[in-house]
Order: sequence, then structure tokens, then C-alpha cells
Amino acid sequence: MKVPIGWLREFVDFTAEVPRLADDLTLAGLAVDGIEGKGDDAVLDLDVTTNRVDCMNVYGVAREVSVLYGSALRPLPVDIREEGPPASGAWTIDVEAPELCPRFCGRVLDVRVGPSPAWLRGRLEQVGVRPIDNVVDLTNYVMIEMGQPMHAFDLARMPEARIVVRWARPGEKLLTLDGQERTLQGRIGVIGAARGALGLAGVMGGASSEVSDSTRTVALEAAYWDPPSIRRAAKALGLHTEASHRFERGADPEAPPVALARLAHLLAKIGAGTARPGLIDRYVAPRPRTRVSLRPGRITSVLGAPVAVSESRRILSGLGFAVGEPSEAWTVDVPTWRGDVTREIDLVEEIARHHGLGRIPSTIPPSARVEGLRPTQRRDRKVRELLAGAGLIEVITYSFVSVDGGPGPAPPLLRLANPLSAEQAVLRPSTVFPGLLSALRTNLRQGRHDVRLFELGRVFGLDRAFPEAAPEELRLGLLLAGRAPGHWSAAARAVDFYDVKGLVELLAIRFGVPRPDFQPLAGPSWDAVLHPNQSAQLAPLRPGRPTEYVGLLHPDLVARLELKEAPLVAELDPARFDLGASIRVRALDRFPAVERDVAVVVEAAVPAEDVLAEIRRAAGPLLREVQVVDKYDRPPVPAGRVSLTVALAYQDPARTLTGDEVQSSVDAIVAALRARGWDIRGE
Amino acid sequence: MKDQVRALREDFDRELKAAGDASALQALRDRYLGRKAGAITALMKALGALGPAERRVAGQELNELKTHVESGLDAARDRAASDSTAQRLARERLDITLPGRRPPHGRRHPLTAAREDLEDIFLAMGYEIFDGPEVEDDYHCFEALNMPADHPARDMQDTFYLAEGGLLLRTHTSTGQIRYMLSNPHPPDVRIICPGKVYRRDDDITHSPMFQQIEGLVVGKGITLGDLKGTIEAFLHALFGAQFPVRFRPSYFPYTEPSVEVDLGCVVCGGKGCRVCKQTGWLEIMGSGMVHPAVFEAVNARLGRVVYDPEEVTGFAFGLGIERVAMVRHGIDNIRLFYENDLRFLEQFPG
Repeated sequence: MKVPIGWLREFVDFTAEVPRLADDLTLAGLAVDGIEGKGDDAVLDLDVTTNRVDCMNVYGVAREVSVLYGSALRPLPVDIREEGPPASGAWTIDVEAPELCPRFCGRVLDVRVGPSPAWLRGRLEQVGVRPIDNVVDLTNYVMIEMGQPMHAFDLARMPEARIVVRWARPGEKLLTLDGQERTLQGRIGVIGAARGALGLAGVMGGASSEVSDSTRTVALEAAYWDPPSIRRAAKALGLHTEASHRFERGADPEAPPVALARLAHLLAKIGAGTARPGLIDRYVAPRPRTRVSLRPGRITSVLGAPVAVSESRRILSGLGFAVGEPSEAWTVDVPTWRGDVTREIDLVEEIARHHGLGRIPSTIPPSARVEGLRPTQRRDRKVRELLAGAGLIEVITYSFVSVDGGPGPAPPLLRLANPLSAEQAVLRPSTVFPGLLSALRTNLRQGRHDVRLFELGRVFGLDRAFPEAAPEELRLGLLLAGRAPGHWSAAARAVDFYDVKGLVELLAIRFGVPRPDFQPLAGPSWDAVLHPNQSAQLAPLRPGRPTEYVGLLHPDLVARLELKEAPLVAELDPARFDLGASIRVRALDRFPAVERDVAVVVEAAVPAEDVLAEIRRAAGPLLREVQVVDKYDRPPVPAGRVSLTVALAYQDPARTLTGDEVQSSVDAIVAALRARGWDIRGE
Repeated sequence: MKDQVRALREDFDRELKAAGDASALQALRDRYLGRKAGAITALMKALGALGPAERRVAGQELNELKTHVESGLDAARDRAASDSTAQRLARERLDITLPGRRPPHGRRHPLTAAREDLEDIFLAMGYEIFDGPEVEDDYHCFEALNMPADHPARDMQDTFYLAEGGLLLRTHTSTGQIRYMLSNPHPPDVRIICPGKVYRRDDDITHSPMFQQIEGLVVGKGITLGDLKGTIEAFLHALFGAQFPVRFRPSYFPYTEPSVEVDLGCVVCGGKGCRVCKQTGWLEIMGSGMVHPAVFEAVNARLGRVVYDPEEVTGFAFGLGIERVAMVRHGIDNIRLFYENDLRFLEQFPG
């Protein structure tokens, strides 16, 4: 809101320079966003918080200034000389809906419509309002000056010189001042006439009775409207005006008669007309006055420091509160323009902001208990550190995704009722589809082909326990594309299944939890999503947990997404890495291990894990470790078969092993492998 | 004999100088000391043909020559050996300016880094980190926070609603206040922060429809506005440095009273006024205030008993945007960069 300094000075004296005034207002809760011009021509740009409708006008700001500097607030000049026949004979006002309009006031003015004088036009231009004619300009002037919106009707154009304040009839039509023909539906208040409606209650006037050059008599209206009714109407109409902005936040029910008098006073002052005798006042639903009790001790207990009694009382009185005799609990009558003040704590705030928050000493409350990261919070930090340490870059993608959500197994989707666009209409069921894939595409567009990403964030779906537990869970998504991290000394290679599987294994090792069991994909939901022979799903952590997978994107999906190469993706349940059991240390080995290699040739389709299982079965109790160290499928290995080299380590905690006992275990292994129909190389 | 010995000595000295490597030295050794064809060996054998006096003198000279040759060859051998180490080291020279073989290196998102920094400060002050859900209902997001239906403040937070179940996406992490107080293991004391994603229907250079906040709540007997000030000053000084002033000014939030906006002296210009602080010298950094008694009353009503008696307990709450902190720290002027996931942006942070 714009406040010209010259206008302020009409109501309060102050010596502070404008920048100082701006700082002081800001620190009292009226944030000055900017200052235009200098000295008395300066205009303050105030950002008034939505609760302070009383400061959305010059006079209200002047009241704050008067408290800031202990300077008297001058009353608004509202004296008028009435002329002609009584107003009530010329204009009839009926309020049919007191719940909509507790108070409706009117005055009848005889006017000479014409341009406003220069000083009035100048003021309006300072606050960004376009001057039109003296009557309309004065309604705007008084609204800016004291916050009461008003409307001027051409009495001659008002059918039967009568107004009925009522709810709109369903489908009722009205041409508003902005030139729009509006069809009214629902609970919208109107200023009705004998036939039809003249204006939207508290929002905007109508065109049919607009003041024009030929207007001789004006019916001037000022009302107090029910705030929620105006708010609902403005929202339903999609129409937010200076008037509705003030009314929906609660204007001053005592302001309408004052505003009418103020306008009549100014009208006479500029020589543009006179008021007829009598105020028409339909105060059909008087507003209750608010009285609040304030205990001075409460001020200290909330602020943490006392404020002098005289200071508290000076602040409240200056702001228009009537403060009763000093006692344990003061009786405070709230001024009618402060609808935002309803209880004791509101008064504490008034005192605090004019006392100055800067004057309250800073303290730090002692901590009563020791807290720290919870296990899941520690886990999430460690997951991020580990994956960043393993060369992945963390991304954060939007929780809302396009309507189709993406492929793969997913619970029923949660949809937004009011999305910003169809691309953001559904809450994501997955981090990979489509979040990580779109992050990949963003970077491919920049010519980045080697992309390694992870995201740890919540996914959403309807099949979770609902609504007590939220329908959301944490997921970890991984994506690898392009070449594996390389060095100039070695040939580059593309990332493959084992890179992403290795990351999962790394996490399991670093969290001290069992390595997951990687199983072939099961179920039709994977068709055309992941490569059936280069992907795996993880054995579920517990029954009922969501599917976790690692694998290569299916070529059909790669083609549909117009990617050149298939990325590897994984989606995991971080609960899998919940910190494992505490570690019990095993005694260090005192006797050396004996190592042997076995190379076995099997059909290409035989999983390595089958070979290792066979070895473990046949080896006997001395075999400590067994692992695949090489896989070879070129001649002399026959086509369709592979040679797996398996390293065996034997050890006994209590003694040194003899060559014979190791050899007899190796012989047993070789015999068992041969019995499966597999060949042993180098024997 | 004497002449022969002298000539041999001169020959040896000359040839030793010319001998370039180990094989030449070996050849030299064979030629002079070889058991079969060595020149000194041959002369030793010839001693027998001399008379006794002559033999004694010649024998002595010959022994001296032999020692001279042996020590000359040994010294040369040692020299040659050390030469070949030097040559090997020269051959093994690496170009130390080529890039090293770096272990894989990724990064955390700058908002993760900022969030964990903020969390660490509050953890050190004894706060608990509380995670609330992102999908919320009207009660936790608005009603319990003193924003009943039709409250104008709801306009400040344009809300995403879900199509089903009357649910919504939380517009602020203040929901954590309500959730924690309802499930508080040690009522009425509260000392938490609640970080997380929030959602508002806004999308432009300064607004992202998804962003992150940290809410804080401290409740107990005797908690004051002075505690709010001291805590926030300590936090901002820990985060940005004690050289930046902090100021508190009255504001408005429906769920706090008094409500307080917190400004930090501009970290870019040091308070002189610049584009970032819009020439004011101050950056709006966070909102805060004393918990509104209506919030305690709403929680009590839901609990069915008075757990947080507004006459007995007070509290303060605060909230700040994590993006705001990261933007101030790194000089970022477009909030959407955080969510575009362009590696050209993400790789600028050490993570």
C-alpha cells in the first residue's frame, strides 16, 4: 500500500527523516518495502500483513506513527452543513439480509460533476489511482484515507430510488463496472433495486446506475459487510477488488457514517456539492464490542522481560484501546477498527511491537534431554554419503509426475485434484519412473552421456495403510548410464548389470546386513520395462514389502523414450539397510589359510551360484571361503559353455592344515562337479 | 718382466676407462685375470722361469698389479651398477601432470548439504528431528494451526488437494508442530525441528511448486520471546557467521502471537545495500513467533484433555526455507535450478 508523507502529515506531526520513519515503521510491524521520492513528496510502499486491515489506509498508518513518536493524532475533519430536503425522502434503503450486511448507511448529495482539483488528483496519482471525476475521485480518496470503501449511485438512474440489500437470485444477471456481464450463482450478496441488481455487495458496483457527467444527485453508500460472505463471493466470482480485500478482512463497523460525512465535507471543500439533511443508517445487526482482560504479569511471562506499566498503557491508549484502571487484570476495550484483536495475547503483541522487539534480551532455554539422529535418519545420511562416495550424484525430482505415472509394478496412484499441469498430476509411485529417467534425459540433452544418479525420497500410493499412516514411503532409486568411470590409462567400458548390483552389495556390506538374494524377474508387470535376462528382483525383506529391482531398461522402452543406450536402474527399500545387528568380534586366525583354484566348465545357462553351492556341499567343514575369480568363454572352451575359475580358501582356527586333507577336499569337490556332468580344466 | 708389468698396467688403465658397461668389464676381467687366458695369470706362470731374486721382485710387482686390476674392476663394477639404477629410474619417469586415478566421486545435492548443516546446529542444541508426512489433511495443515475454513491466510498458501480422501499436500512443515504435540513422548516439553518437502501451487523464478522447509518448535514452562531471539541468533550465527547482525520485527502468522519476521544482515554486501537485499541491507531469512494459545487449545481438544495448558506452558516456533539458505550461501537467483537436476549445476558443489 502506498502512503504519501504529505498526507500522513495532515494527521500527525513528526520530525524523523523519511528513511528513519521507514525503519521505525518496519520494526513496529508495518514493513516498508520501498520509498519513492524525497521529503514531503516521498511515498512509502507498505507491505501490510493481512490481519492489519486497519493500516490499509493513511489514517491508520498515522495512528501508528503517533504512537511511535508520542505525537498527537489529529481527528479527521468531518463537519458538514446540510442543505435541501431530507435525504430520507429521496432514497429508501431496506436490508433484507442482516447476516450479509449488518450495517448499511447512505447519504444523498447534490453534486456538480466535473474534474477534481489538482491537489486531489495529485494525491490519487501518488497512490496509483487514476482520477475520473470529482465524485468518484472522492470515494477513492476517502477509501485510501480511512479505509472505508464506498459507492456512489446516480439517484436518477436508480429505479424507484430504492435499494434492497439481499442475496442474489439464482442466475441473476448484472453488468459490473469493469464492463463484464456476470451471471450470479450461489450465496452472493447484491445491492438490489426495485428491479434487478445495482451492484455486487462489498465487491464492485454496477454499470446501470454509474455516476456520469449528467448526474445531479448522488446516493452515496457505505456499509459494513460480513467478512466470510464477501470472501466467498469474491472467490466464487474470481474478482478481488480494493473493496473486497478490505471487507473480507473485517472493516470497522463504526466507519460508514464517518466516511459519508468525510466525503460530504470534502465535497463542500472542493465546491462540488452539498449534503442533504440526515444520515440514513440501517444498523440492523449491531456488532458486539470486544473487551479483553490483560494481566501485566502475562506480558513479562511471554516476552521474558518486563515492560513498564506506563509504557504498556501509553502504547495501548495511543492505538485506541480504552484501558481500565491499573490492577492485576486490566480491562481493555478494543477499538472497533481492530477486529484482529480478540484475546490477551493479541494485546501482548501490540505492546511488544511498539515497545520494540530489539529491546527484549536474548536468552537460550536450557536443554533438558539429550537427543540425536534417529536410526533411520542416521541410515539415510549414510546412504547418501556412501552413494556419493561411490560416484553417484544425488538428484531431487518433483513428487508429482505425468498422468500415466510410468511402467513397472505400482500401487494405485494418488491423483491431484488441482495439478498445475497434466505433467504434474499424479504423486509419483517410483523414483525411477519417470523421475530419474527424466533427469537422465535432461543431461543427455546437454551432451552428458555418462550419468550416475541417485535419489532418496518419498513415493506415494493408495494401497498403504490409510489414512492413519500416511500413504507414502521412502525409496532409493539408482540410475547408471554411459561408460563406467575410467582413466586415460585403460580402455573405457559401458556400465552393465554388475555395476548396479555391486552398488547394492556395497550398501549391504557397509550397513552390515545380509547381502540381498538376487532372483529372476517374476510377473508380467515387468514385460517391456526391464530386460528379462539382465535384471533381477530382490528377495523381499518381509512379506508384503514392495518390489525392489535392479536391471537394464528394456529395449522397447528405450526406443519409446528415444534414448540411444539403455540405462541401468534400481529401486530399493531403504529399510533393507536398517543398521544390522551389533558386531561380535571373531578371534584373529593364528594358522595360515591354504588356497586352491578349480576351473570348471559348465553350460552357459548354469548360474554361477549353482556351481558354488555344489562346491560348498562337497567341500567339507574346512572350506572357509569360495568365490568366482574368472569367467572365460573363448577357445579352447567349447561354444555354448563357460569356464569358471573358483578360488577356494581352507582354514582351521586351531591348527595348520596338512596338504593331504586339503587335497582330499579338492578331490571330493572335483568328483561332485564331474558328477553334475561338468568338466574340470587343468586336471 | 718389469716393462711388461708396466705396459700391462697402462693398457689396463686405458681399457678400464673405455669400458662402458658390465659386459665390457667382464671381458676386461677375463682378459687380465682369466684362469686360462688372463694376461696377469700368464705372467704369474712365467715367474717360474726366473732366477730367485728376480722372481721375488717380479712377483711383488705382479701382485701389486693384480690388486690394482682387481680393485679397479670392482670399483668400476660398483660404478656401473649404480649407473644402471639411475638409468632405470630415468626410464621409469611418469608424467606427473596427467590426471590421477580417482576413486569414483559423486555428490550430495546442495539442498541435502544445507539441510544437514541446519540439522546439525539444532542437534547440537539438543533438538530432536521429527519427520512428518507430506500427504496431510486439513486439520494438521490448517485447522489446528488457527486457520479455520475461510481464513484469509489460506490464500497465502495456495494448496494442492488430492482427488481422493479429502487429503492435501502440506503447504508448510508447521504440520510437524501438531503431529509432534499429539504424539509427544514427554509432554508438555517439546524441542524439535521438522525438515521436509512442502508444496504450493506456484511456479516461477522465485517459486517452485515443491520446496523444502525446516520448522522448529520449543514448548515448555517459561519459554519466552527472549528465548526465541537467543535461539535464532545462535542458529543464524552458527550458520552464516557472527559478523552478520540479526533483527526481529513484528509480522503476522495465524499460528503464532506475537509473530516475528527475522532479517539477517545482507551476506552479499554486508549491509550497505545491493541487488540481492533490494538495497535494504537486510535479507528476510525466516518467520517465527510465540505459539498461539489457539494452537495449544486445538491440540488439547484433539487429545481430549489439557496437556498443553496455555496458562502454564508457552512456546516458540520458527520456519525457514532450505532453498533460501542455499541460495543466500551460493548466490543462486533461480530456485528451479535445484530441481532441474542438470549436472552442470549439481557438479559445482562439493556435496
